Amino acid sequence: MQALSVLLALAAWEALGDWHLVGQGALPSPSAIVAQWWQDRDIYPAHIWATLQPALIGFVAGNVIAAAAALAFMLLPALERLMRGFNIAIFGIPPIALSPVLVITLPGQWPQIVLAAVSVYFPTMVMTLLGLQDIDPRPIDVIRSYGGGRIAVLHWLRLRSCLPGLLGGLRVAAPAAILGAILAEFGSGARWGLGSFLLGSLGRGDPARIWGIGLTATAMSAAAYGLCALLGRRAAASVLAVTITPARIEAQAVARGRARTLRVLLGVGAVAMPFLIWWGVLKAFAVSPVIARTPWGVWQYLVSAPDAADARAGIIQALGQSLPLAGAGLLIALAVALVLATTGTLWRGLNAALLPAAVFLQTMPLVALAPIIVLLFGRGIATTLVVTVAVTFFPAFITIAQGLAQVPAASLDLVSVYGASRWQKLLLVSVPMCLPYLCAAARLVAPAALLGVMIAEWLATGYGLGGVLNTARGELDYGMIWAVAFIAVAVSVTFYQLVKLIEERLLTRFRMAGG
Amino acid sequence: MSSAALKVPTDDIRICAVTRTFAVDARQVFALRDVSLGCEAGSFTALIGPSGCGKSTLLRIIAGLEHPDEGTARIGGATPQQKCRSGALGVAFQDPALLPWRTVRQNIALPLQVLGRSVSSAQGLIDQLIQLVGLQGFENARPGQLSGGMRQRVAIARTLVTDPSVLLMDEPFGALDQILRRSMNIELQRIWMEKRPTTILVTHGIDEAVFLADRVAIMQRNPGGIAQVIEVPFERPRRPELFAAPEFHRLEDEIAAVLYAGMAS
Repeated sequence: MQALSVLLALAAWEALGDWHLVGQGALPSPSAIVAQWWQDRDIYPAHIWATLQPALIGFVAGNVIAAAAALAFMLLPALERLMRGFNIAIFGIPPIALSPVLVITLPGQWPQIVLAAVSVYFPTMVMTLLGLQDIDPRPIDVIRSYGGGRIAVLHWLRLRSCLPGLLGGLRVAAPAAILGAILAEFGSGARWGLGSFLLGSLGRGDPARIWGIGLTATAMSAAAYGLCALLGRRAAASVLAVTITPARIEAQAVARGRARTLRVLLGVGAVAMPFLIWWGVLKAFAVSPVIARTPWGVWQYLVSAPDAADARAGIIQALGQSLPLAGAGLLIALAVALVLATTGTLWRGLNAALLPAAVFLQTMPLVALAPIIVLLFGRGIATTLVVTVAVTFFPAFITIAQGLAQVPAASLDLVSVYGASRWQKLLLVSVPMCLPYLCAAARLVAPAALLGVMIAEWLATGYGLGGVLNTARGELDYGMIWAVAFIAVAVSVTFYQLVKLIEERLLTRFRMAGG
Repeated sequence: MSSAALKVPTDDIRICAVTRTFAVDARQVFALRDVSLGCEAGSFTALIGPSGCGKSTLLRIIAGLEHPDEGTARIGGATPQQKCRSGALGVAFQDPALLPWRTVRQNIALPLQVLGRSVSSAQGLIDQLIQLVGLQGFENARPGQLSGGMRQRVAIARTLVTDPSVLLMDEPFGALDQILRRSMNIELQRIWMEKRPTTILVTHGIDEAVFLADRVAIMQRNPGGIAQVIEVPFERPRRPELFAAPEFHRLEDEIAAVLYAGMAS
């Protein structure tokens, strides 16, 4: 049955492609794509290797750093608090904004390696840290009753039980590494690599070849994801607790004078840290001041330099073009994801069919498929919106579907007893209960929305932050490249913090209502 | 049986005026207030009381997992923390708290590893313990493959692997059904009579307390403390028939009367 529907879909695609029914041949038939791939078979290995090798190196380096950081954060919670700003900044960086900065400061393959490593760091660090911290409290008592201290708990318990988290992080990180390596090729002028190949082919307008490259990149990501998922499944099965963990009593917040001062100090440090690290890296590697801009340099460029007003005006105009689109794309993606996920709970089986597909599609380097969207939708606002929705929809859908799945059956049974309809159950119980997940989804996909908008602007429309970045890169306007990168991160982080604030408000209100 | 009971290198437990408070919504609540209790070496004491009477807190203080705000807990004259490090304590919780990735044998060996002792030289002892709790043939099974009762028996074997002089149990059979619970009570008595560790058992079950213990300490709440200690005179080994004996029920009723009197006030 499934095989049949796949065959039917392929046949339909073939017909659409052969008769040039979509976008005047923008959608080539599968046979045309395969034929073109076969014709290009001699150049593919070199392109694939040029992307895969730095992706691999970055993947390994980024994950080693991430795992070490998670361990350090677990052992020293104050360090985690201090580095929170840096971590969120790394999370919020749209890779496309960092890419030109890396290309102008680093030689050879290094931009690809670093961007792959940066893309990998956050998911692995967060999931490993969670695995290290969030452990079954009962075996801790067993170890402590034999005089075991923190190190014994770490050795016998935490290191082993964080494995599924670590491997889950690697699973998310693997496609991210490949995407990072591809994005670092955009605008690097490199001869080889799938990203360079893609950009070169976009100019020539050869749909069959663009689709072939996009699908090759997708296959690589899916293979990397699958490999890590396989490893993770073996580890996860052996760590699941066999009995239900009792609810933990939350530690009372201590608001003594000294602790509060320390918290404020750490908070200030957390904001200063990303800038310190930015400045420190530039100094440590002695990057030429012609190219590099320190935080102070960006301040000068945007505020105190003679022509700062021009630069500011350019960026404000670009923000005015990019932000509404990113916001609209984000809202559309969240709305569609919420509607689909909730209807999925109404008609059983729909989510069971959608979720695996979403998990798979999430691994696609959709950004690398942006040129295909350009082919299909032209070079207008529609393309920007479609790219943005495409890169944000899948992770949002997965998060919201997870939230809906967490709704306890007893709560649903309770309203059923009073004869509630499916819609009433949804409105009274499911949607309010998954609100925190909706917030989490918004927070997690916001940087992706900005990334989607900037990619579309860079490749297709030429407007907004992406357009400014592409122009600045062409004109070697280093100040503008750094300024845009900084602004993009700042926007991401601000949005992240804003949603987090709303989320915390919601959570405390619910807890008050419950208590 | 008596020859095994002769070698009793056990420690006594002395709890002196222990007070422990918790903050609940900025209010101070006494989990334990001025509690004293002495347990002779090789004795079996049951702690019984309504939820919130501090019996688990008291056990955790004796196990060295928590510190009293005031007063002292001593095991054989030493602090619980000192005793912990020598492996003198065996602790069993309501949940078996097994590590899911370890086999039965490896789970039983965990205390030895934490104490930095040799596991390879203890393989004979581990085999004996597996036999003692009746898990032969499941040595290499993982917790996920075992039933609830079998997991709890692994946990009991684990508490015995260091040959502890003190056995602390916090409702170890609380999650089991009544039938399984009864057979575990009989097994626990058998194990206890072989090794004779000084034992404290926290329980909700009056029948369990009367069947197993030399004396039952009945606790009350608000503030948490010991209301009365009742001696249990029955001969050992106690047989399952005892559960049906009239004198058994008389003692149960006596304990229940103290319990409900404490709750009514």
